[in-house]
Amino acid sequence: MNYKLLHIFRNTPFGRETFLQSLYFCKTINAFPVAYIPKSDKFLMYFPNDAVQVDLDHSYLKAPGTAKSHAEDLFNEMDIKPMFYEPKNFTASSLPDIPTNFDYLCCPRSVSDLSSKIGLGHIGPKVRRIIKHATFPILITSPVFKPWKSISVFFGGSKNALNALKLGVKIAMSSGFSLDIYTLLEKQDEAYYRDLIKHEGLTEPVSQLSKQWHFYKQSDFDTMLYDVPHNSLIVLGAYGHGIIKDFLLGSKMEKVQSTVTNNLLITGPYCSIPLQ
Amino acid sequence: MPTIRNWYKTIYHKLFHLDDRLLLIIAGSIAGICSGLAAVALRLSLESVLEWLHGFRHYGWAFIIPAIGALLSSLYLEKIAREGAGHGVPEVIYSVSRYGGLLRFRSSYSRLISSFLTIGSGGSAGPEAPVVMSGSAIGSSLAKFLGLNDRQRITLVGCGTAGAIASIFNAPIAGLVFSIEVILGEWKFVNIIPIAIAAVAGAQVSQAIIPEQVIFNHQPFLVGASDILPSLCLAVVTAMISVLFTKVLRQTGKIAKKSSFPLWVRAVVGGCTVGIIGIFMPVVLGEGYHFIQSMISGTFSMSVFFIFVAVFAKIFATAMTLGWGGSGGIFAPCLLIGSLTGIVFHKALFSLFPTIGCASEGAYALLGMTGLISGVMQAPLTGIFLIVEITGGYETILPLIVVSSISSTMSHYIEPASFYFKELIERGQFLRPGTDARILSDLNIRELIETEFIKVSENMVFRKFIEIIKTSGQNFYPVIEDGTGEYKGVIQISAIRKYALDPGMYDMIFLNQIMDTGMMTASLENDLQEVLDMMDINNMDSISVVENDRFIGMILKTRILDLYRRELIMQTSVH
Repeated sequence: MNYKLLHIFRNTPFGRETFLQSLYFCKTINAFPVAYIPKSDKFLMYFPNDAVQVDLDHSYLKAPGTAKSHAEDLFNEMDIKPMFYEPKNFTASSLPDIPTNFDYLCCPRSVSDLSSKIGLGHIGPKVRRIIKHATFPILITSPVFKPWKSISVFFGGSKNALNALKLGVKIAMSSGFSLDIYTLLEKQDEAYYRDLIKHEGLTEPVSQLSKQWHFYKQSDFDTMLYDVPHNSLIVLGAYGHGIIKDFLLGSKMEKVQSTVTNNLLITGPYCSIPLQ
Repeated sequence: MPTIRNWYKTIYHKLFHLDDRLLLIIAGSIAGICSGLAAVALRLSLESVLEWLHGFRHYGWAFIIPAIGALLSSLYLEKIAREGAGHGVPEVIYSVSRYGGLLRFRSSYSRLISSFLTIGSGGSAGPEAPVVMSGSAIGSSLAKFLGLNDRQRITLVGCGTAGAIASIFNAPIAGLVFSIEVILGEWKFVNIIPIAIAAVAGAQVSQAIIPEQVIFNHQPFLVGASDILPSLCLAVVTAMISVLFTKVLRQTGKIAKKSSFPLWVRAVVGGCTVGIIGIFMPVVLGEGYHFIQSMISGTFSMSVFFIFVAVFAKIFATAMTLGWGGSGGIFAPCLLIGSLTGIVFHKALFSLFPTIGCASEGAYALLGMTGLISGVMQAPLTGIFLIVEITGGYETILPLIVVSSISSTMSHYIEPASFYFKELIERGQFLRPGTDARILSDLNIRELIETEFIKVSENMVFRKFIEIIKTSGQNFYPVIEDGTGEYKGVIQISAIRKYALDPGMYDMIFLNQIMDTGMMTASLENDLQEVLDMMDINNMDSISVVENDRFIGMILKTRILDLYRRELIMQTSVH
């Protein structure tokens, strides 16, 4: 398949790290990275039910003269054919439309918050809205280039978590890396989760690819995060609850991303992952 | 919680899913009321600030007031709202035609604030485009909240627009007509009723909040047959002024964009220029409703020479405001320039033919306004109905139609695109429903690709290939590299006839010797218009789609035609 990942290139040392991570991700799962070098500090993404304006901080526009050659060097370093995206449509003269028909999008932890551009930081509202409306998974990279060697799926039994599990299985198949599943036993027992994946027809691929299924008590959330290997790609669902529950309890995914330094691959509520 | 959700779903389904017209009528009314409130809020705040600043206008330094307003407006738009300057109507039209009316929520308030700063300080612009933008964004956000589909969302965008225009002019029919004629571009039965109700709701909001402050009081005019010939001449004059206004607006904007100054500096330059003009000619400042009302009622006292100069001063001031970083629309400037033109024309007519028995100065001001709106926006119906509603009767309908039709036709002849559409046409993004460009843009290239093709290896011997074509109906065979699967070229049956008719060659040649490697290919990145252009230029009936050196499939002209027809039927059906 011709899977494509869109990466918004930032011509800074931090941007280099995230780009290397995207390139590594693509090389590992046989996808094609497409770099977009922004020429204005904002762009629009039209999702099926929302238009999200992404405001980039000025580090994205630094040294435009060298941006393309730097990106090409990194492509070459990873032995990948350079591909760049040039916007064709513009909502306003300085507001390009970025298509939403890519298979993956690499999104830094915050695209518009200067205070948290280095380090873990918090997910900004734009990243949150992108994840909430994207029909494709979002890759949130680690702050420094860190090749991952295994896949860890956080599976909590929701529809989003099932999508995340399917995605984890797909990534494991295409990368050849082992798969671990982590489940926090909140209200149900182990058998419930096993029945769930059986019902979805995932038992066979999971048993073939999964190294271990780890179960934790509800209070052991932090232990679970610590147990995840530092060089593992974490695949998880996000924003599967309603607005009220999210508001009152907060997002588990946001807690994960502000705690661990791993690369995260996130499936939002509108994400659909076919196994084939 | 699940019980409440189930109730909600049941009620929602029972009420709205069986017939979405009820849903659109209710949602449209809400959009109309909200956009009407936004329009009233902007109007009242503009009136207050203009009145307050009026006391400072006689000072020598007052020319910097519009500059300060434009500066704040540009900084607000650029640094806080992070939106572009200008009026925003092309943005709404673009969103309706390409993305089912999806607009950002921030647009529902950002242009109101920026245009308040620009116009309130004296910048030469109108509040109508900002309220249109705001109303459209309110309609779009409401549709997002209700989870409506593209068609329903577009209707609500139209409702928001209609509510805003109806509210600001107290003219519901003008709101309805503007929404359909300019924004949506299609008269569909399903759209008209919700938009009409939204327009009425918007106008009622305005009347309920500020009943005594209708912008233009209803005034009857006596217009007779003797006005027809002068109306014809006025139409020609307004068409010329319309074209001049459009060209000056665009050229000034282009000059500003070419300059290396940051937006805020440009805004200050534009604001100062308008401020200086305003010292000598206050008629150019602000939205100018007060002056328009005095012209309609015949109480406008300026010499004909100054009125004549004011026409061009207003054109220049508006261009400097909007082109150089201010925020606002061209609707009110069109009305003012049109009424000034009408009065100059009337005065000139009476000085040449003192005994001519034609209508009053106010009537000609209205005719001039129609001419300018029809000419600049190329929206004749909007021009006619707006003035009909302002005058509160149909006495002037005949000269209005004459002026409107001639002015819009002449302007269209000289300048084929209206001010609102010009930018979109230049970018190739003017996609009205049912047009060729719109249908092609709505067809997804992925659904056109035929993927069931037999691929052959570049190292295949020709004899084996002959066996394949005996059992296959394909006319094209993609050739790929062994091992990597990379696309190398294509074999067209008609091009290999000479080899096929010579059995002696069967074991002597391989496919990489006879394949066509120069044939143009498309990629998934191309849009359908580009693919069709490639096929037309190279006289091809089909084209290979290659992505990342992999053969994806082929696009056939017959398939395009099938889907084109399907899309055309869908877009032009009554519902």
